[in-house]
Amino acid sequence: MRLQHSLFTRRVFLNSLLGGSLTAFAAIFIGPLVKFVFPPYKEPDEVKLAAADYSGLPANEVKGFAWGNKPGLIKRAADGSLVAFVAVCSHLDCNVTYLPAERKFYCACHKGWYDENGTNIAGPPPSPLRRLAVSLDGESLVVKKQG
Amino acid sequence: MKKIRTWLDDRLGLEALSRFGMNKEVPQHGHTIWYYTGSSILLFLGIQIVTGVMLALYFNPTIKDANASVGRIMTEIPLGWIIRSIHSWSATFMIGLVLIHLLSIAFTKAYRPPREATWMTGVLLLCVSLAFGFTGYLLPWDDLSLAATKVGTDIPKAIPVVGTWVTSLLRGGEDVTGDTISRFFIVHVCVLPLAIFAVLGIHLFLVQRHGMSLPLEAERRKETLQSLPFWPNFMLREAGVWLVLLGALLTTAIFLAPSLGPAANLMSPAPPGIKPEWYFLFMFQTLKLFPSRILGINGELVAVAVMAAGFFLVLILPFLDNRPAERKGRIITGVVYATFAYTIAMTIWSLL
Repeated sequence: MRLQHSLFTRRVFLNSLLGGSLTAFAAIFIGPLVKFVFPPYKEPDEVKLAAADYSGLPANEVKGFAWGNKPGLIKRAADGSLVAFVAVCSHLDCNVTYLPAERKFYCACHKGWYDENGTNIAGPPPSPLRRLAVSLDGESLVVKKQG
Repeated sequence: MKKIRTWLDDRLGLEALSRFGMNKEVPQHGHTIWYYTGSSILLFLGIQIVTGVMLALYFNPTIKDANASVGRIMTEIPLGWIIRSIHSWSATFMIGLVLIHLLSIAFTKAYRPPREATWMTGVLLLCVSLAFGFTGYLLPWDDLSLAATKVGTDIPKAIPVVGTWVTSLLRGGEDVTGDTISRFFIVHVCVLPLAIFAVLGIHLFLVQRHGMSLPLEAERRKETLQSLPFWPNFMLREAGVWLVLLGALLTTAIFLAPSLGPAANLMSPAPPGIKPEWYFLFMFQTLKLFPSRILGINGELVAVAVMAAGFFLVLILPFLDNRPAERKGRIITGVVYATFAYTIAMTIWSLL
């Protein structure tokens, strides 16, 4: 049945009302479910390492550490200072390695190359390796986010 | 016996179904051979389900035990090595046949009306099959599978706005971790099986509803083709094909059992020579070739956009190829051949 100036029949109105309400009711649960599938994770603000472990590191050599779930590399620069990188390729997230003989970082996944300062020089990587700030605090080496 | 049958039929109404099976006919023509690919895919799907359930009896989807439990399956469990090898090889056979099935339908243009929806559900089944392959590849949790999963789940990051979100949805966090194994495992053994049954149900229903497609030429000339009863004549031939495929599967599975590397370490560099499964190689090679920036845009984004557009074109192919017998149809056939050639060439290149 359709009222005189109505655009749709009573049946269509009732169907849409019920269907729409059920859809809206189901939709309420999407939010909490989506929330559930993302576990909380925060990148560390800083990581403290035993300075003694890294003090004997020769120039042009690297030593690994854990930057949260990612690998980090501490490297002795030519001037004797320590620099830290997140050892993850800026292309597609593979873990990179340092090749001391070539003075380059290398990503084996898609043949990406970075120079010893972490600047992307060849292959697909679009940007340099991420650098972290290194400072000495008593007995510990503090690796922090830069900036 | 007859009493039980009548009793069951009164309740389930199976008579109509079996009558349909008995009366089903399969047309005989030059392209009949391609009809066998569909049922062969089902054979390998069945093998995947059986061997998959067996493997899940011993597999532990945790970062600590995943690799070791696969090692245990291969070294300690009776016949474990061959079950894993069959599961791995049957996946390859199944995806290979899915691709052949798809190509045969593209080349014979069997997606002509009214079979567009059958084609589209088929493309979805290809996606589900690839998702099975991708999630399954991580589960042995060795160096190669970790690196391949890091790359594969990082690709969506190139998508603007939602990319990072998609990547952490896939990984269960910012990085590939133990949470990723649990996630991939449950998707591999629960979510994807539900999805494949749902879509396959529609696909098979549509195949039966529309019947087997005829070659374009025969249909145009309104030829009446000879046909073979599905039961028992065609079934017998199918059984022969299955037997040959089963023999090929067992032979490869026995002689070329998949290896298992040492457990993946989140902190160690990617091993040299990483490669995804063969069916992703053409994408892998394409990604390698794309420069980091194209006209000021992120090269990865361009690569992802090109692949997404390619997928979308495949999905809607029946609608693009709406005049199959005319010049447009021949051009589209040419494009399909060119795409096929590109895929083969890229795959071979990536293996060199």
